Amino acid sequence: MTSAQQRSDAFWERIEAQLAETDADIAIERDGFYSQPEWDVYRVRYTSAGGHRLFAWLSVPHGDGPFPALVRMPDYASVHDIIYTPLRHRAVVMNATHRGQRNSDGSVQASYPGLLTDGIEIAAEYTLFGAYADALRAVDVLGGQGIAELSGAVALTGAGLGASLALATAARRPTVSAVAADTPLALGHPAALEPGLGYPLAELGDYLRANPRSEGTVESLLSVVNPVTTARAVQRPVLMSAGSFDRSLCLLAFAEELAAALPECDFRVYDGAAEGGGHIHGQVRGEWLAARLGVEIS
Amino acid sequence: MATKADLKSFVTEVTCPDDFDRFWQGVRSELDGIPLEARTEPDPLRSTEVVKVYQATYRSLGGLEIFAWYALPAVGDGPFPAILHLPGYKSEPALRRDWGAKGVAVLSVAVRGKLPSSGEFNPGYPGLLTSGVEDRDTYGYKGVISDCVRGVDFLLSRPEIDAERVYCCGSSQGGGLTLITSALRPEIKAGVAGYPFLCCFPESMRMLRSYPYDELSCYQRAYPDRAEQMLGTLRYFDAVNFTPRIKCPMVVGIAMEDEVCPPETSYAAYRLLGGERELWLFPETGHGNAHEYPARERAWLEERIGVAQVVAS
Repeated sequence: MTSAQQRSDAFWERIEAQLAETDADIAIERDGFYSQPEWDVYRVRYTSAGGHRLFAWLSVPHGDGPFPALVRMPDYASVHDIIYTPLRHRAVVMNATHRGQRNSDGSVQASYPGLLTDGIEIAAEYTLFGAYADALRAVDVLGGQGIAELSGAVALTGAGLGASLALATAARRPTVSAVAADTPLALGHPAALEPGLGYPLAELGDYLRANPRSEGTVESLLSVVNPVTTARAVQRPVLMSAGSFDRSLCLLAFAEELAAALPECDFRVYDGAAEGGGHIHGQVRGEWLAARLGVEIS
Repeated sequence: MATKADLKSFVTEVTCPDDFDRFWQGVRSELDGIPLEARTEPDPLRSTEVVKVYQATYRSLGGLEIFAWYALPAVGDGPFPAILHLPGYKSEPALRRDWGAKGVAVLSVAVRGKLPSSGEFNPGYPGLLTSGVEDRDTYGYKGVISDCVRGVDFLLSRPEIDAERVYCCGSSQGGGLTLITSALRPEIKAGVAGYPFLCCFPESMRMLRSYPYDELSCYQRAYPDRAEQMLGTLRYFDAVNFTPRIKCPMVVGIAMEDEVCPPETSYAAYRLLGGERELWLFPETGHGNAHEYPARERAWLEERIGVAQVVAS
């Protein structure tokens, strides 16, 4: 076992231990304003590692369950969408936020740019590591929400940071049955420290320009969340997209290395940048997820 | 997928209120009575050899302090041409350092409700589109549009900016705000509006079930007795009522498979443009993700700004 793998394993063990000692304390409230004739919308609040109170949107189709479920992991942004997907007619859908995002910002407020380097010198103070704990907690909360009867099929999806969170969660939660990962954020991979990248990865370049002696520390600290390191543990089918000219989220060389490391990956490269196939891949992803969840797209 | 025939045959039901210009002149007068209090704070972490980045603030409607990223060329003293960059509905204001090397300043505005301009007005996302929609004077977008209008005031107040060369661009909500701001501020010399939001509210609500427009449908379902009132307010904020008032050259970019801003509604705004106009259609493309769009936007603005001249001088 490599030292990088050992560091990564130790990191995840610490996160799991923190989650184990934190009561999720789930509170669910139906949102009558955003509920629709075909599905109900709920506001879900729960506690993650470190006592951070988090928020998620949850939609539940009308009719008899059990339903398959889809968790959309948060993008790198201050706001996470309310649920919009053609699968919401047939599947329970959860849009989970991480600490620092709107509605989950009671104790940490993320800044953009800024979140990628907030507390980066010390692992225990690095805000974004908490987002990985929050992603695991979201899947656990979905299983324990008690509102909707679930069939057992649980897919994860996300773009950029959300894609990396989805892959990391799938590596740790055997309840996950499939992952659609669009342009996973290269955070933790050495390529993310290249100069001349666009935001959000450029935040790392900004930090290292101001703190040139910290490069080794930063590279070592971030390596525990390198998606390539945990890829082998994702024992579920993955659909992954990348843009051939992406210089801000998912650099092509990183994407190719990650796809090769995932045991079962349908890897699609598109002629473009961070949009990773955009509308065309959106259709591919929708059909792929529908097939994995056993539902039809409305 | 929308076809060109769909675009051309679409006719909006949105009409312009008789007192539309009077209302917006009143807003301008209200803004003129508020001291701008423009401030800039250097941000060395985000600055590079070619661009100096500042955190800027100024006062807008209701006296709210509005934040913006202000990126100036590091080489030369100006006066520089400037771009007012307007944000999407839920996305962060972009820190545009890419124009600095070309001798162009960029002010990227975090309109009220967005971090970090959300201290006194914070309706949330979803939430902004229906915030105060019962009345044109309480509607959140009266403030949002004012924040963009005041962004122009900020640029015109700066000695390092060439007041004769102010441009505007943005996508999605930023596209709609580009159209609206360019109508209200004739100082803007040209603009690019990508996938514009805020066009043809009644039809957009009916054509789509995606957010943000679905917020309005939720409102209509929750308060059916106020639906007419809501639509009455929205007429004062619909980009199709602003575009005939735009006199500068303007591009509208439309994704033909746009699932957030119906292509027909964006085209309706384009068709009513009062000045020189250019249409970019992107087939097999969804909202905001035409991969050639950023390069086209850049090239078009560079030509209008005369970037080669800027660099040479």
